[in-house]
Parts: sequence; C-alpha cells; structure tokens
Amino acid sequence: MHIQLTSQAYCKMLLHTAKYPHCAVNGLLVAEKTKEKKKDGHGGPVLCVDCVPLFHGTLALAPMLEVALTLIDSWCKENNYVIVGYYQANEQTQDSRPNQVAQKVAARISENFNEAVIVMVDSSRLTMSCFEPIVFIYDHVENKWKNREVTTDAFEDWNEAQTITSALLVGRSYENLIDFDNHLDDLRNDWTNPAINKSVLDLC
Amino acid sequence: MASLSEMYDVGWEEMRDKLRKWREDNCRNSEQIVDVGEELISEHSSKLGDDIWIIYEQVMIAALDCSRDDLALTCLQELRKQFPDSHRVKRLTGMRLEALERYDDANKHYDAILQEDPTNTVGSPAWLAAPRKNVTCLCLSRFVGDQEAWHELSELYINEHDYGKAAFCLEELMMTNPHNHLYCEQYAEVKYTQGGMENLELARKYFAQALRLNNRNMRALFGLYMSASHIAASPKVSAKVKKDNIKYAAWAAAQINRAYKVSIEMSYLDSTFHCFYSFFFFIGY
Repeated sequence: MHIQLTSQAYCKMLLHTAKYPHCAVNGLLVAEKTKEKKKDGHGGPVLCVDCVPLFHGTLALAPMLEVALTLIDSWCKENNYVIVGYYQANEQTQDSRPNQVAQKVAARISENFNEAVIVMVDSSRLTMSCFEPIVFIYDHVENKWKNREVTTDAFEDWNEAQTITSALLVGRSYENLIDFDNHLDDLRNDWTNPAINKSVLDLC
Repeated sequence: MASLSEMYDVGWEEMRDKLRKWREDNCRNSEQIVDVGEELISEHSSKLGDDIWIIYEQVMIAALDCSRDDLALTCLQELRKQFPDSHRVKRLTGMRLEALERYDDANKHYDAILQEDPTNTVGSPAWLAAPRKNVTCLCLSRFVGDQEAWHELSELYINEHDYGKAAFCLEELMMTNPHNHLYCEQYAEVKYTQGGMENLELARKYFAQALRLNNRNMRALFGLYMSASHIAASPKVSAKVKKDNIKYAAWAAAQINRAYKVSIEMSYLDSTFHCFYSFFFFIGY
C-alpha cells in the first residue's frame, strides 16, 4: 500500500517534534474514508490528510492512550476520517526504529485499517530548512515492520510541505501546537489545532 | 539584533520574575528560558544578587535541551567557580556530559564523586538492575534532589517497560509527598498498564485518591472511569463489585461531562467535543 503525506500532516508532525526537543512524542495519522473498495486492492495512494499529536515524554502508559484512541476514533467517525497510521519521534539519543509502544498502537490501528503504517520521525535531523524528508515509513509485511525507502513520492507535494513546514518552524508556531497531553492539562486546548491548520492553509 | 527587553518592552525584573515562575511551575519551555536567561545573565547579572546562581542552573539545563552547549558551559563554569565542592554542581556536570552523549565520561565522573563520598551509596535493589548507561548515571544522582531523581528514574523505567520498578519509584515519591496528586495519578497509570484485576482495582483506588487531592485532575477522572468500567465489564467479578464499579464509572462520567461543558462554555469550542458524548458507550454494561 502506498501512503502519501499532505503538507498539513507532515508539518504538524514536525511541529510536535520541535515543540518537545528533549522528549519522545507520538500521534496518529488520519485519512479520509473512501467509499469505493477496489477489488484488487491496488487503488490510488492513501492520503494522510492530517495528524493528531498525542503525547510527549512517557509514551508507554496505557490509560490515557486508550482514552485518546477512543475519543479520536469518535472524532474520525464524525468527520469521515479513518485512523491509518501512527507516528513517533524518539528521544534524540535513541534510534529511529519502531519500538514496543509503536508496534502495539499500530496493531490496535490495524484492527480497523488493515494496512496501518508506522512513521518514525528522525528528530536528530530536524532543521529549520527541512531540506530533506526526515521520516521513515514502516509497513507491516510478513509479520514484521519493514522500512520503505522514502522519496518525494511519499508526499502529496514535497516542495509545498517543505516550504510550509520550514516557515512554521522559523515562525515558532510549534509553541502553539496542542497535543492530547496539553488537552488533558486544560480541556480548552483543542487537539485538532484549528489555528495551525489555518496557518497551513494560508501558506498553501 | 534587538534585545528581548527592547522588543517586548520588559524590564530585567520582569524577566527575572518570569524565570522564577517557570522554575516554580516546573516548566520545560527551554527555548524561552534560554532567550530570557541569556539576556538576563549577559546584561543584568550584577543586579540579580544571589538569584543569579539558581538562574545559571536553570539556564544551563535549558541550554542543554536546545543544544546550546556554549551557553551551558558558560553557566556551568560560573557555578563551578562559586561552588567548587558542591554535589549539586557536580550533578550538573554529569548532566552536561550525558547531554553531549559522552556516557563513559559521565560514568567516570559519577564514579569519582562516589569515591570522594562513599556514604552516597544507594542501597535499594531497584537501582542495581539499571538497564541503560544513562539510567545508571541517573540513579547515582539520587544524592542530590532526591525527588527529581526518583521521578526521572520512574520515567526511564516506564520507557523501558519495567513497570514494577517504575511503581517502586513512585511509591517512594508518594511516601515522601503524600499530598502530591500527580504522583498518585502516575502510580495509578502504571498499575493500570501492568494489568490484571488486582492492579486495576489498585489503579482505581489511586485515581480516586488523586481526585481527592485535586478534583480537577482530568487524567485521574478519566483513569477512574476507565478502570471502573473495565472492572465492571469483567466476567470474573461478583455482582456487588460490578454494581459498585458501575456506580464509580457513572460518577466519573458525569464529572467528565460537566468539565467539558464548562470548558466549552468558557471557550466557545464546538464540534470537537461532540465526539466526547459517544465516548461513554464504548464499554457496554
């Protein structure tokens, strides 16, 4: 299955990573639900239109993750989205392979979407200019998570993604990025990030 | 380039007070701390009096987060000059070595400190099986600021999925800080993650305790709802336990409902939270 990231999805993942440089962060990737089911299973690429930043710091605790998955699942149903993947950026000193947490969440997502992907963000290569994609995409093949080569094909429009992400990083928009942890600290914090979505749209 | 005080029209006192507030609230907004702290230190150090030392420490730690080793080293050197024998400053030296990924040097550094002062040995068996180099470094820092070290250690154990040891650290923290709702709530989360009926019931009790200490802790409220719901839904519990837990879950649900209503009214958010109402039906009982 071919997955593509929109500028909004890529940008918000990187903003989340940039906001917490000293922590691991994670989140979910969503795509629009398509009604047609191609019989041979080889339709067009699945377009990840958005991501929902979840937690920062300790990612390996169950209760809030369950709450987040349930709430976000409901939100997806209301907005005709489906959760198609999971992203994680490890602490800078660790490697970028999907760990136990990533695999567990991805397995959970696979119950509803059988070609779930894991996107690992390489936070050690995060720069203001974003001159190259810093994600690794993993597919579940033969019971293992296999790394796929990431080219500009993995993006709906790499140049746009690069420009927008760079602009928002320079402008320190990540200070206003809300993840689910922030929401739990204060319910008024909106994890759909409407303000950042608007900034992305304005820059398109 | 204009200084912060010029750009935002703030005086040095405001900047100093801001740093203090971030210290008290335990904020880890490292970039802001570096921006404000660097300017305060370079332009106004003479006015800060004894505050300057804690500011050097705060800025040093933030600088490490932002990979500003130049600034971190400057702060560290000032602290070393002023407090040459301080264990606290030695811990900061170790922290900088760890941030630079010089783990062998960090280890040697901590070994040297222990040699100087062998009474700073750690006796609890939980420390002995530390899984990673930096965990070993960290556990040796328990002789300074115990609380912080125990908490960081619990987080490291959680990241290593060693929930038993994480629980041990949090138990220590709860013992010495019985009124801290955060430790109760985190302990409950660890128990919940460990799973099994006994742990779920413990989790529910500690979520409830966290709520007694702070009735606005949303994580505790959600946690109470989740643990009570799971217990109620289990086929292994007696009818009475089921009934009690349904009551707890229903109470938690009502509180969560109310909290969302209040926050929506306060902020005019709308559709995002409609999804919340279907939340309560995910565990049928």
